Amino acid sequence: MPQPVDIVGLLESGIRAEETRQRTIASNIANLETPGYRRLDVRFEELLTKALRSRHAAKAGDVKPEVFEPAGTVVKANGNNVNMEMEIGAMLKNASRQTAFVRLLRKKFSQIENAITIRE
Amino acid sequence: MKVHNVFGPVDIAVSGMRAQGQNMEVISSNIANARTADAGQGQPYRRLETILRTQAEGISPVLVDEVLPDQSPLQSIYDPGNPLADSSGFVAMPNVHLPVEMMNLAIASRSYQANAAILKRYQKMVETTLELLR
Repeated sequence: MPQPVDIVGLLESGIRAEETRQRTIASNIANLETPGYRRLDVRFEELLTKALRSRHAAKAGDVKPEVFEPAGTVVKANGNNVNMEMEIGAMLKNASRQTAFVRLLRKKFSQIENAITIRE
Repeated sequence: MKVHNVFGPVDIAVSGMRAQGQNMEVISSNIANARTADAGQGQPYRRLETILRTQAEGISPVLVDEVLPDQSPLQSIYDPGNPLADSSGFVAMPNVHLPVEMMNLAIASRSYQANAAILKRYQKMVETTLELLR
């Protein structure tokens, strides 16, 4: 039986994930030239999907974003694998996702407020 | 259920920028070494060329497949005074032609700009969509 969708919880966890992602992107860009630095990424959507599909009544708010070092980017001679264009692309996606979540959350809250406010 | 590997415009444009960035590295290596008569093992520098390929079939990002040496013949300059000259006084020089490299550089940089323009335009599109939520 499908769980009731906790919209506010989902949006809030999405915002948290995007905040974590923004920190990793900032760290990557700051360490663009640092020898030996490996870029960081955030694992969240897969964890969320798994939690929502599982039989246990896991709430969206329980899923924490995970910071990890992805493999697969070319490592330069100084051991650094950060690529400027990739981080800029990630930054654009991150900004639009975060804006979408925040605005949706605001819409949801104003919807709730409409429901509970008695208008004379 | 077949799952299609869907690449967003951002990923595809970023891959274009990365590929052209790597292409520019190759071009700058060619230009910097246009007169390098000794690139090790008694051979002059040989011009490098970037080979691009798609990552998937259909709609797909681009990847640098390989960077291969250009097999066209090396130039041979008559310079008997050169310590690297052979018995007939000829020195083997790189098969790099600066006009070709400058043309490739212009193409690479235009391609980079075009990909960056896609990023910018797409960002504006997304912002317009998000304005609906205000």
